Amino acid sequence: MGKNILCIEDNPDNMLLVQRALESRGYRLLKARNGLEGVTMAESEDVDLILLDINLPDIDGYEVARRIRNSARNKLAYTPIIAITANALKGDAEKSLAVGCDVYMSKPINIRELWARVEAFVPAPR
Amino acid sequence: MGTGGSLRTGPAMTSYQSTFVLYLECSDCGKHFSTREIHTFCPDCQAALLARYDLVAAREHLDREAISTRPRGMWRWSELLPVQDPANQISLGEGDTPLLRLPSLGADLGLSQLFLKDESSNPTGSFKARGLASAIAMAKELGIKKVIIPTAGNAGGAMAAYAARAGLQAHIFMPKDTPRANITESRMAGAEVVLVDGLISEAAGMAGIKARAEGWFDLSTFKEPYRLEGKKIMGYEIAQGFNWELPDVIIYPTGGGTGLVGIWKAIAELAELGWLETDKRPRMVAVQAEGCAPVIKAFQQKASFCDFWMHAHTQASGLRVPKSFADRIILSTIYESSGTAVAVSDEAIFKSQHEIACREGLFVAPEGAATLAALKELIQQKWVVPDERILLLNTGSGLKYLDHMG
Repeated sequence: MGKNILCIEDNPDNMLLVQRALESRGYRLLKARNGLEGVTMAESEDVDLILLDINLPDIDGYEVARRIRNSARNKLAYTPIIAITANALKGDAEKSLAVGCDVYMSKPINIRELWARVEAFVPAPR
Repeated sequence: MGTGGSLRTGPAMTSYQSTFVLYLECSDCGKHFSTREIHTFCPDCQAALLARYDLVAAREHLDREAISTRPRGMWRWSELLPVQDPANQISLGEGDTPLLRLPSLGADLGLSQLFLKDESSNPTGSFKARGLASAIAMAKELGIKKVIIPTAGNAGGAMAAYAARAGLQAHIFMPKDTPRANITESRMAGAEVVLVDGLISEAAGMAGIKARAEGWFDLSTFKEPYRLEGKKIMGYEIAQGFNWELPDVIIYPTGGGTGLVGIWKAIAELAELGWLETDKRPRMVAVQAEGCAPVIKAFQQKASFCDFWMHAHTQASGLRVPKSFADRIILSTIYESSGTAVAVSDEAIFKSQHEIACREGLFVAPEGAATLAALKELIQQKWVVPDERILLLNTGSGLKYLDHMG
């Protein structure tokens, strides 16, 4: 059973926070620092769940979600995606679900909620 | 009950003893942080910090009756608030709001003991004055010069007023359809107001980005520890007003949830102080609008946190909060108190607002009126019984919302 979480996030502090939180539960974190790298990793790695920041430096998270959902790799049509944003723009939450994300979370990310959201899709290894 | 005299008149008082605050504690992991340094929320858990007090010492040195004889207002409870230097107790006369019996509405509903705590008499016309008085006082004490807040309305006006009083620069982000009174009062007090195309959640996102970029201190609900402390004094006043025997039910309009959580925190502190006459605790009821009811949905699902509420809409602007930063604490308060959560329609809110004005002479805020609408639901469900002591919380004045009324 795989336990790989792909985190697509350009902010190193947020990445570190997520890494500490998820590795403490036994998950393996795959890190992508921009949208294109995230799409590439989703298509090439064994990924069980994707944490997707919406505000990325190249293509935004909405476009990342669209490309992942439309990927030729069939598995990515149903791989869970949790969208994460600073929620500074009207309709961020609604838009993220419209492009195929499963869950929406706004920053700052409460760690207990993050664990619960991830574990709802991928049981924690420990 | 405490046995000693009031600390303020006691012979051993030092400036340090102006408060019994000990430290801040993460509401998730329990890690401690100093109240003498600037903190927002727990950097590890990203959860709210709660102020903790030496209640054993407070029990020894404070006397509830002596406090009752002090000058009226929130700061009469200063030892149970976090401010060290009394010179930093910024005040515009907040607190000690009326606790009113509602005899006519009670008779209409078949309830013999129906009460309302009317927070509209606070400075700037709402309960937000309490939290912002406390938060601005602590900001001043910690040397902060510039503060920023996202708001659904009333918190902005209160923050602007207290910041002006304290000589701090105020920056406010609020939805562009916020009641005009809130926009005007904020600008009148010298605050820079940015109107946001979105809800308080988007205002919070923008304020957070601005705060990080400019170094302004973010006073968002539960993202700093001290607004809760001012709000909790409502709980102390409720206990005092009911002669230290708490009501059976407290019905509270819940947006960000600071008041609900604050009252419950106060009750826990009161119990530790030994000031309550009985062990009975009120059942806490969270009320939200049908168009924005994340707490009700989570409660019904027995969840420990809320989903972000999509397409939030209600004319009760203070209830238009798609997800509180402290949703876990709000829900645990309801569960711990054997309370419940009720969603009401805008139509029911405005009908109740009219009823409270016609039957009791109180022009309450829509959020306050929502508590009466919820009470009617609870009577239908037989969740309350006729002889229980039931307290409604009106959070503000209806006069702030005139442009939302026909």
